[in-house]
Amino acid sequence: PTDNCSKMLENRCSGCKAGGKSLNSRNFSKLLHSCPYQCDRHKVIVEAEDRYKSELRKSLICNQKILLTPQRRRLGSDS
Amino acid sequence: MFRGRRGWFCRSVSADLRALWVAEGGTISGPHAADFLFSCDASHPDTLRIYQSLDYIEDKATVFHAYYLSVVAHADMKTSVPLGHFILPPACLQKEIRRKIGKFIWEQDQHSSVEKHNEE
Ligand SMILES: [Zn+2]
Repeated sequence: PTDNCSKMLENRCSGCKAGGKSLNSRNFSKLLHSCPYQCDRHKVIVEAEDRYKSELRKSLICNQKILLTPQRRRLGSDS
Repeated sequence: MFRGRRGWFCRSVSADLRALWVAEGGTISGPHAADFLFSCDASHPDTLRIYQSLDYIEDKATVFHAYYLSVVAHADMKTSVPLGHFILPPACLQKEIRRKIGKFIWEQDQHSSVEKHNEE
């Protein structure tokens, strides 16, 4: 049973197991997101980063709207 | 270990750590072509640019603390060093993360000579 336990712990989080041979900055986040058993450490980091990213995404969309709005208005009055 | 891999380095990373990367077969590249993104300071302008990039938003740019390279250099089983323990999150998130899960791995090793080199 103890062996099973340690095995479970070992398999708990792919972010904790994986070395840098096949992983890199490009695929790491996807791996973590697809891991069904994130450890506490990685869960906390992923949640915090995801929140940061969604805020950034929102502000990007906002900026785009500001840029596009005058153009759209002009097109609308032309037609 | 890093043969054929391209690494981008924030200017917060010491020359020693860059040298370890090259010694393991890695090459140095720009941020877009890089397989690995390394930094020692999440609030450095170079690294901030990564956090504000589309790649980062789309989960295609994880920044790792360059202390990873020092640990790999001293490890017997280089491939077994868990890369995931060296994720460097944006500076504004670090306080909250530290409160929940304790110090980051590069903060725990007070006696590391590498840390002292990080000051520019
Ligand atoms: Zn983990």
